[in-house]
Amino acid sequence: MIDNKLARKVFGSAFVATMVVPAMAFAQAAEGAAPVDYRVGVAKAIAAGASMSVSALAAGYAQAKIGSAGAGTLAERPEVATNIIVLQALPEIIALLGFVIAFMIGTA
Amino acid sequence: MSSTTTMKRVSPSKRDYGYCNARVRGMRSRLLKQAFMDGLMQAKDLGGIITSLMETEYAPELEERLLHGRSTGQIDLALKDNMVRTFRKVLSLVNDESLEVLGALLGRWDLFNIKTVIRGRHMSLSSEEITESMVAVAQLSQIDLDELSRQQSVKGVVDTLSTWKLPFAVPLRAAMPEYVESGNLAVLELALDKYYTEWAAKRLKGRGVNQRLSRRFLGTQIDTINLLTCFRLLNADLGDQDALRFFLPGGTFVTEALFRDLASMSDVDEVYDRLKRTPYGRPVEEVAIKYIESGSVSVFERALEDFLMRRAFAAGQGDPLGVGIIIGYLWMKANEVTNLRIIVKGVSVGMPMERMREELIVV
Repeated sequence: MIDNKLARKVFGSAFVATMVVPAMAFAQAAEGAAPVDYRVGVAKAIAAGASMSVSALAAGYAQAKIGSAGAGTLAERPEVATNIIVLQALPEIIALLGFVIAFMIGTA
Repeated sequence: MSSTTTMKRVSPSKRDYGYCNARVRGMRSRLLKQAFMDGLMQAKDLGGIITSLMETEYAPELEERLLHGRSTGQIDLALKDNMVRTFRKVLSLVNDESLEVLGALLGRWDLFNIKTVIRGRHMSLSSEEITESMVAVAQLSQIDLDELSRQQSVKGVVDTLSTWKLPFAVPLRAAMPEYVESGNLAVLELALDKYYTEWAAKRLKGRGVNQRLSRRFLGTQIDTINLLTCFRLLNADLGDQDALRFFLPGGTFVTEALFRDLASMSDVDEVYDRLKRTPYGRPVEEVAIKYIESGSVSVFERALEDFLMRRAFAAGQGDPLGVGIIIGYLWMKANEVTNLRIIVKGVSVGMPMERMREELIVV
């Protein structure tokens, strides 16, 4: 359960940026296939930027939370250090996916 | 008042539960398991218990206390020291919101300590005897409690609390004239209980999830105290007014009307009928036959204590980023120390294992 307003906003924005914005950009690009409209380029740039930045923010937020909890766990149970490092690295995937989608938008 | 109670702490931000809850869960993983308790109960003598406990979290305190002798009393003190150290450690880790909540809930330990000092002074016990019974896990530190126990009279204790500007001095000052006139200690204790419930309820005001959970838990605590009072009044012949004097406001299910009804009853079946629609019906039903056989109110006391402990454990199973984890752990720790003290006493007097197991609380 996400009980924090900021967390809801960040994850909501990340979802919109990674799912809706690229779709809109692709649709716009397909419609304007014949004469290349400069507005398509602007929309693609905005979508790619949003996808990358919001996903990076979301990954940062998740890593901050996991990091503080991980530090607490390590203070009491140093034997689980490997698990904590793996958990700490997991949210990087969010940023990576954002980057891939931004790249796809840019090259579409 | 000593400076230890206001020691500088580096706390996480107001509502960050990630760090403190992770540490508390780490500490929870080191609580003693059922198999360990079973092994401890099978120990032949205190030596066996000491050997087993030296491999646990209790080792540092045991090492220190055993320098003064290998006796039941010293082990008891070591267990108490460990509990105090653990509670203080948790309080130094938690965020501001949980500190506020825990301050209200752990206030019952301050209440317990102040009552102990007052009872000790009322019965003219020595400072050492009083100090041994106290557990400095809340706002009052061991130094404060030592200072209180050195006072020569009940009035001295109340005056010292007033000098420290502690909230508990307010009801004591107000009830002092009646106590001086009647010499009845219950007057002071009742005033303290009533003040604590109101004080804690005020501190737990708020709409947050954690405040709601803590209010519910405090309400359960108050309910159990009120129910216990009712059970004690089962065979007493009191008018309505007399019974209501003992009612503590702020409970979740036991309202003033229910309390009045229960206090006027003289049969345990009637009490069960009245309680069966509340969460307390089941624990009361489970021990009703035992009560009829033994005629001792302590069976209800024990059942309600178990119920409260289960509620505290349940609080620790909820939101992983809430104060329930911390409440659950602190109550589990207190429960573990109580159980260990029972086992140490049991083994030292050669109590059978089955009897010891009966005495343990929610293992």
